[in-house]
Amino acid sequence: MRFMMLVIPKGYASAAPGTLPDPKLVERMSKYNQSLTNAGVLLALDGLHPPSAGARVRFAGGKPAVTDGPFAEAKEVLGGYWMIQVKSKAEAIEWAKRAPMPDGDVIEIRQVQEMADFTPEIQKAAGPTRLGAQ
Amino acid sequence: MRFMVFVPGGKESEAGVLPDEKLIAAMQEFNEELVKAGVMLAAEGLHPTSKGARLKFESGKTTVIDGPFTESKELIAGFWLIHAKSLDDAIGWMKRAPFGGGVKLEIRPIFEAEDFGKALTPELRKRDERLRAQMKENQQ
Repeated sequence: MRFMMLVIPKGYASAAPGTLPDPKLVERMSKYNQSLTNAGVLLALDGLHPPSAGARVRFAGGKPAVTDGPFAEAKEVLGGYWMIQVKSKAEAIEWAKRAPMPDGDVIEIRQVQEMADFTPEIQKAAGPTRLGAQ
Repeated sequence: MRFMVFVPGGKESEAGVLPDEKLIAAMQEFNEELVKAGVMLAAEGLHPTSKGARLKFESGKTTVIDGPFTESKELIAGFWLIHAKSLDDAIGWMKRAPFGGGVKLEIRPIFEAEDFGKALTPELRKRDERLRAQMKENQQ
């Protein structure tokens, strides 16, 4: 089973563009990431620039409308993710518990949908695109 | 530059309702276009938050809360990982996504090694490269 561990850093919704993580935290994260890789569970990971460096696209009335970040209405924004391969949700939680998170941060664990989770009709409709993506 | 594009969750995705065949077909076409243009790197859907959990790290303690997360208004149901020349280019691509009904996609640039400047020492950079090579092996 694949799970995403989504990071919701405290106060990241209003972080200035160009905000970088604390080097000490990067060092601790690097060690944690290495432990995930050594165990063979880590599939991917990335950090996200603050919302002030992003945009939202709203689809209504047939015409997409773009709003630049930061997003005034957002309280919880994502700061990054890990994608892991484990045997159960409990195992995902155990890994997440070991993450060296700063005080007030939240990790949200979400199971990733696999093709096998869908009915044959949906699998057929979805086609091979996902597998074709590199 | 790489970008993550988040698809918001809602009542239907939280209830485990799958999109109808028409939307799946439209999404399929859009994805094929992204792949052909070399823009799409990955795309995944997520199960409802009822199958997930949240961990809160506070005052040295970690609290685990099982889903669903009914108090949260900003849930996600899936994402694309795309490669684009700029934020504007990423916006241009995502404007063509077959959505309607007030759906709001969020586009966020990903940190690349060069964004860290001097803070990413040669040693840390090497470690990061090694990690990414090992991740690729784990994906096999």
